[in-house]
Amino acid sequence: MLVQILNGLVYGGLLYIVSVGLVLIFGLRRIVNFAHGSLFMLGAYVGFSVAAMGGFWGALLAAAIVLALVGALLDIAILQPLQREDPIVTVLVTFGLLLILEDFAQFVWGKDFLKSPVPTMFSGSVLIFGESFPVYRLVVIAVAALVALGLSVWLRLSKIGLYVRASSADPLTTAMQGVNTDRVSVIVVALGAALAGISGTISAPLLALSPSMGSYILIESFIVVVVGGLGSFAGAFIAAIVIGQVHNLGLVYVPWAATMIPFLLMVGVLIWRPTGIAGSHV
Amino acid sequence: MSELLAFSNVVSGYGDARILHDVDLTIGDGERVAVLGRNGVGKTTIVNTFLGVARLSSGEVRLAGERHSPIRHFIAARRGIALVPQGRRIIPTLTVRENLAIGGAPGRNKPWTLDRVFDLFPILRERANTPGTALSGGQQQMLAIGRALMSNPSLLVLDEPSEGLAPVIIDELAVVLRQLADAGTALLLIEQHFGLVHRVAERYYVLSKGTIVEQGHLAGISMESLKKHVAV
Repeated sequence: MLVQILNGLVYGGLLYIVSVGLVLIFGLRRIVNFAHGSLFMLGAYVGFSVAAMGGFWGALLAAAIVLALVGALLDIAILQPLQREDPIVTVLVTFGLLLILEDFAQFVWGKDFLKSPVPTMFSGSVLIFGESFPVYRLVVIAVAALVALGLSVWLRLSKIGLYVRASSADPLTTAMQGVNTDRVSVIVVALGAALAGISGTISAPLLALSPSMGSYILIESFIVVVVGGLGSFAGAFIAAIVIGQVHNLGLVYVPWAATMIPFLLMVGVLIWRPTGIAGSHV
Repeated sequence: MSELLAFSNVVSGYGDARILHDVDLTIGDGERVAVLGRNGVGKTTIVNTFLGVARLSSGEVRLAGERHSPIRHFIAARRGIALVPQGRRIIPTLTVRENLAIGGAPGRNKPWTLDRVFDLFPILRERANTPGTALSGGQQQMLAIGRALMSNPSLLVLDEPSEGLAPVIIDELAVVLRQLADAGTALLLIEQHFGLVHRVAERYYVLSKGTIVEQGHLAGISMESLKKHVAV
């Protein structure tokens, strides 16, 4: 049972890192970014390519930097020019981008599934209360915890974090005070994309890499964002941990219903609390 | 006297709808000006035009003497024009202190500090760590004014500042606004109630159906005009 809970934390951690990027982007831009799953996928492939030469930490850094640049470009070239358009236009454009990035990955890395090896420094297992558990999976949990802590400290204690929180709640009022919310948005979308890249890289040794690998985690990330409450960082954290557990326990105990359970959980939460666990709007 | 905010033949609105028609309006250094008019005549569109929320179809808007086209939302604050918006727009996810801190955005000199705002409104110091929206209506108005002051404005624009406030709070607000004016901050009051305006402003414009129909010194405004265009 302990192993299952830890496995749930691994998946919940990955979900959190992806979905908190979605939350950041939704807060500022008020759009659902369908391309976010592709950013996760690109992160996995970039990490896979760099890991062979630069090792695990080099791959993680490279994926974060490359994806941050992709995110900044996404905001400057697509989201900002479309910000006065109907949100559905932006949503459709990000959906188109998802398809383009999948084709791009197929062109560069091919259609076949790729498998990234577990970094040698994190290979092997440890005994936890008498049960064996892979070290690498503990590293994934630790990275997710560090991201959650780092993001929370950055949002609470830095000036730019204050502007992000303010802009997420009311971009116009924040701009009225002299804050260049477009610049804040570039930082936020770049950060969101970098987090998706980090999540993709650390998940590469756990999942089979394919151009469509972003779609599945994107759907579960949407569930996390809705269950947590749109725009809520704390809500996304709680929802990711819960859905990680539900997903994993479902796979073990009711495999025939495993894919349905997160959706049922979302419906249940929305009936109980239409704003999500910690959100104010849906 | 240098020009802080000027509209020349401004036509502006939202989408295809034109709300303001050929509006001319100027506020200079240290002036106390009111724009009067009933609900729905286009008063807030004046604010939305210099913020870049309403679309400028023709004419010119100058912020601290400079023309900006298109006007981006953050430009006005950086040109020394701070807004206390209608309904206050206190950011609900931030504490009182944090609401004030976003007003200290970059780009201006810093005569106004958090401590100076707390000295002006001591209740905000007492409730610095509570959510901004947990304050009473009057306290939220103080917070909105304090937040605007944190950007160290040359011109403070207040959109319907007396809306929803008890008469005794409006009296306190008038005292504070006079203090700010005496310290050299120019004021633009956008109001439909004359009670606050007559204690603060020295010059006025009357807006009706998106057009300036009357202007002058407040001492010369007629009772007939007041009855027609504002709530007394």
